[in-house]
Amino acid sequence: MYKDKLTYSRQLDQEELSSMDKTLKREINLARNIQSQLLNGKTPVFQGGKVSGASIPARLIGGDYYDFYPLVNGKLRIVIGDVMGKGIPAAMLMILTRGAFRSAAETTKSPAETLMSMNQALYSDLRILKSFVTLLCADWDPASSVLTYANAGHHLPLFIQAKQEKVEEVPKVKGIMIGGLPNQQYTNKSIQLSNQDTVFFYTDGIIEALNEDKEQYRLERLIQTLLLHKEKGVEEIQTSVLASVEAFTNGLAQRDDITMVVLKINDQQVEITSLNSPLMK
Amino acid sequence: MIAFSIKAISEQEAVICLDGDLDIDSTEVVEENILPEMESYSQITFDFSKVPFVDSSGMGLLLNIVHALHDQHKSIKIINVNEDVQIVFDLLQIPEIIGEDIFL
Repeated sequence: MYKDKLTYSRQLDQEELSSMDKTLKREINLARNIQSQLLNGKTPVFQGGKVSGASIPARLIGGDYYDFYPLVNGKLRIVIGDVMGKGIPAAMLMILTRGAFRSAAETTKSPAETLMSMNQALYSDLRILKSFVTLLCADWDPASSVLTYANAGHHLPLFIQAKQEKVEEVPKVKGIMIGGLPNQQYTNKSIQLSNQDTVFFYTDGIIEALNEDKEQYRLERLIQTLLLHKEKGVEEIQTSVLASVEAFTNGLAQRDDITMVVLKINDQQVEITSLNSPLMK
Repeated sequence: MIAFSIKAISEQEAVICLDGDLDIDSTEVVEENILPEMESYSQITFDFSKVPFVDSSGMGLLLNIVHALHDQHKSIKIINVNEDVQIVFDLLQIPEIIGEDIFL
């Protein structure tokens, strides 16, 4: 009788475990769908250039983040970021970051103000949660072809100049990562872009991808890949970078989330008036 | 997975030699092994000479170690950071966040 009871109890546990397993899988899939929908939202369409973003999590869901926010003055606010950690905890904080960005973008006048506002909003939560977020925020002005950016501990974007055979980081601007220190001020820097220039924003999952010999992909390889494909369109540049990283890692499991945003300028006459935001595709 | 060894200099002072990548897989080692081992020391030096790579999770762990030990009024130093790791430290402005005097 006692044995039977034990047997019964064990069977129940297995059923419960199986049920929990199913529930967990279902909820992870739902969470992945939510994140995917939020991350892969509408890409803005505007005259004077083209923009595209892509994010590939290392696990089912990830902590990398990019977003576009069309401003009422016709500019486009771009953000790319990396939440500390991976998987579900990072994904939860990524959603928090997205909310803070959307809210800050609405009310702030520049990338530096957006980062300051986001740090104000998120600092105490991130300290409690022992986490942080690196962010690069930029305003693209299609009317003047000026890109203004501010940095919170993130990798600087790469500037691919159409007229020169070189790829280099945009001029350095420093800033403490979101959640690092309270009451931070950030600095704006600007660059003038010309026809067919490209700006490549990215997260460290690209340059820190490892091959079988434990070598990193590194910034140098990324620069070579971008030089090789600089004539291509934004989506093709993304595909080329991903293909290059995949060829380098040769089937090895992806170690970190990979995210990139590509902005490319084209020759079209820009006709944007104030209160004329970019359209969302 | 990161490994570590402790070299006691005196009753108060110890050097912790980390060995391996400091990343998300180091979380349990740091929280369950390294931090409890630090309780009896008041001056702690982390030797990073055998740490080839630190990712964002590892950086978070490092910040948490430093904050936790500072809260216990312990003195902390970090030595022998390799060039690649130093680039990440500088990018994230870790010295500004935890104190430039920590790095030797």
